[in-house]
This record gives sequence, structure tokens and C-alpha cells, in this order.
Amino acid sequence: MIRIESISRTFGTFQALADVSGEVRHGEVIVLCGPSGSGKSTLLRTINRLEDVSSGRILFDGQDIADRTVDINRLRRRIGFVFQQYNLFPHLSALQNITIGLTKIRGMKAAEAREKAMDLLARFGLSHRAANMPGQLSGGEQQRVAIVRAIAFDPEVMLFDEPTSALDAEMVGEVLGIMRELAASGMTMMCATHEMGFARNVAERIWFMDKGRIELDATPDVFFGPEAGERAARFLGSLS
Amino acid sequence: MIEVLRDNWSFLLWGYFPNGPIGGLAMTLLIALASLAITFPFAIAMALARAMGPRWLRVAAATYVTVMRGIPLLMLLLWIYFFLPVALGFPLSPFVTIVIAIVIFQTAYLSEVIRAGIDALPYGQTEAALSLGLRKPVIVAKIILPQALFNVIPGIINQFTSVVKETSLAYVIALAELTYSASLINAQLMVKPLEVYLVLAMFYFVLCFSLSQVADMLDRSISAKRQASPAR
Repeated sequence: MIRIESISRTFGTFQALADVSGEVRHGEVIVLCGPSGSGKSTLLRTINRLEDVSSGRILFDGQDIADRTVDINRLRRRIGFVFQQYNLFPHLSALQNITIGLTKIRGMKAAEAREKAMDLLARFGLSHRAANMPGQLSGGEQQRVAIVRAIAFDPEVMLFDEPTSALDAEMVGEVLGIMRELAASGMTMMCATHEMGFARNVAERIWFMDKGRIELDATPDVFFGPEAGERAARFLGSLS
Repeated sequence: MIEVLRDNWSFLLWGYFPNGPIGGLAMTLLIALASLAITFPFAIAMALARAMGPRWLRVAAATYVTVMRGIPLLMLLLWIYFFLPVALGFPLSPFVTIVIAIVIFQTAYLSEVIRAGIDALPYGQTEAALSLGLRKPVIVAKIILPQALFNVIPGIINQFTSVVKETSLAYVIALAELTYSASLINAQLMVKPLEVYLVLAMFYFVLCFSLSQVADMLDRSISAKRQASPAR
């Protein structure tokens, strides 16, 4: 579904991604982990072209996403993206945060968009927050609304960029809960996270990144096992 | 002072209207409202050009702002008064002249205020909107401007009061707004300049003070509607 062909990305003299290749199959859940600055975020951001690559290419359903004939906005609607800092629109209510995309892009009628958004909010236990402004919500609730906003488009793949890193510990669970549910529903997902419990239980594969490279592409059993290698072990040690 | 006010209040408020040309405070308000109504959309366009336009447009807009900041409004007014009719080939009324001068001048200042509001928004807002697949014009109209303008309401109102005060420059092109009207009264009375100009000061103060009060109310009511500080 997503095929990454030896992409690199440099910021000035800093090499964020160095010759990264990989493939994500339909319905797969991939967890990206590794020390900060290892390129996890940049990799995710190149996939919906929030960042462009310096070299190499990314194919989405066989199509080069940097191709001139690709309508970038259309492509982005097929890819849900969840940010570390939620990035809800603070001047819109939780409900409006979700409906704005549906009405402005899908051309849905306001009532129809509202109904769809309310259904989704209900599914994730957020109905009572629909009318609230983002500033009135807890961090966990904001991130859940942000996830709902992203899946309202029925995307084919969801990218999560450290979705729980900005949250207080007691709110991490509710957000991971949603993500588990999404994974169980068969959603294709790529998730940069330090939540190793999530990685162990939900991921099909783990990409361990370091210094802009994928050092290890392995199943959780291998990654958490003894044969993962010294660098992965050191990283896991640093987390606990 | 009471005497000056008592004898001339109607002239100061609306000139000879309805028996003659409109003047006084009414004219001042007309100039200010016309100038603001035209300046505001121009300033937004200029701010957008500077904040997110292509490079040549950013440079052009920045140059415009720099030039305007470097010259006095009075000089600009005189230029427009003397040269623009020649360039255009037809005469301009004093009213149109002062409005053009204020619009050209204030577009630069107001656009800087608005640009500051745009620049202060976290880039995550734009990224979130992009990642949803929203098109640029929608992002600007629905995500960027509503937040940016709200955040700089105090600065915008500050420019509005500046505009009100700048209308007094119409005095030099003999347009009968408030200051010119007061000067006519002063010329007639001859011996009461202190009283006349105190009354004049009072008029401007009440006008600008009310404007800032309205601004505070607006600020509070929008804040109350949003009820919380913006998310990071």
C-alpha cells in the first residue's frame, strides 16, 4: 500500500532521513520507535507530504506521491494524520473541528456532516463534549477529538506522530484505547510512539530507527527478544 | 467653554446640515468610516501577501510598508491633493483626497498588525488543516484569519483610533471636518482659542474613548464565546 524507496531528507547539514526504504501492507500496524531525532516524525511527515523528500520516492497505491499529476489535497484526504500537539482549531468547537473538513471538502450538507460527526464522537465516548471548545477539553479528550477529525474522512491509512507524548500519564490510556480499536477494525496504521506496551501488543512490525535509518524491521517478538541487537536493547533500557 | 459649546454645538456636530454642506463631527465620522471600510480588506490582503505570498509579492508588500512608514501622512496627503488630479486628468474632491491618503497610509500600518497576528499562530494549525486536505483559500478564510484577527483586536482598534485622529489632517485641504469647523469658530470668536480647542479635544477624546470601549466589549464577548486560551 505504501512503498518507501530509499528516501533521504536533509535540513541544512542535518540528515533527518538517510536512504530509508520500507513497505506497509494493507491493514498492517507499524510502530516506529527510536530515540528522539532519529527521523520517525520526518518519515511520517514525508508520507502525506508535510515534508518533501530530498531524494528517493514514496508510492501510495502504486502512485508516486510527488508526481505532478497527483492532487495533493485529494491524497491527504486518504491519509489521516494525528499530531503530538493535537492541533485542534481552537476557535471551533469539537464538533466543528470535525465538520469543517466534511462540509468544505466532501461538500456534505451541514446537517449530514453534523450527523456523521456526532456518530463518530458517540463511538469514541465524546458525545457530551461536542459543543465544547478545545480549550475546555483535557489533553486526552483533545487528542481523541483530533483522531476522530482525522478518521471522519474514512482514510485508508492513519499516521500517528507521537500521539501520547504530550499527555499526562493518566490520559495516555484513553488515547491508546482508541488506537487499539482502530487497529482492531483493520485500519492500516503507522505510529511513532514510545509506548512499548502498545508496540508489543498491537504492532505487526516495529521499525526501530536511529540516526535517520531504519536499523531494524522486525516483529514485536524479535524486537523485544534477545536477538534484536545491542542498539535496540540499549534504547529499550533507556525507556525503563 | 460652556458658552462656546452652547453657541456652536450644532455646527461642531454636523456643520450647516441640513441647510448646507455636512461638516463637523459628522464629516469626521464619514471620512473615518469610509477610510476604514476600504483600508480593512486592503490591509488583510497586504498582510496575507507578506505572510504567505510568493517571494516577489512578499518583497513588493514589504517595500510598500517600508516606504509608507518612512513618510509623513501630511506629505502624502499634499502629494495626492496636488499631483493625483493631474495624473488622473480630473479633479478629486477634498473628501476623496483625504480618504485615498488615509487608505494608502493605513493599509501599511494595519497590515503589519494583522501580519503579526498571522505570524504568531503556531504552524501546527496550518499543518493540521493541510493534513485534512483543505485547500489554501479555505485554510486562510476559516482557520488562519479568524484566529489571527481575533488575537490582534487591540492592535486593530489602536489603528482605528489613529484613523479617527488622522482625519483632522483634512484641515489643510479645507475640508470642513471637526478640526476645520473648530478653526472656523475660533476665527470668528478671535479671543477664545483655549476654550475652542479644549472643546475640540473633548470631542476627539470622547470619540476615541468610546471606540476603545466598544473594542473592549467586543474582545470580551468573543473571548467569552471561545471561553478558553488557544490550544498550543
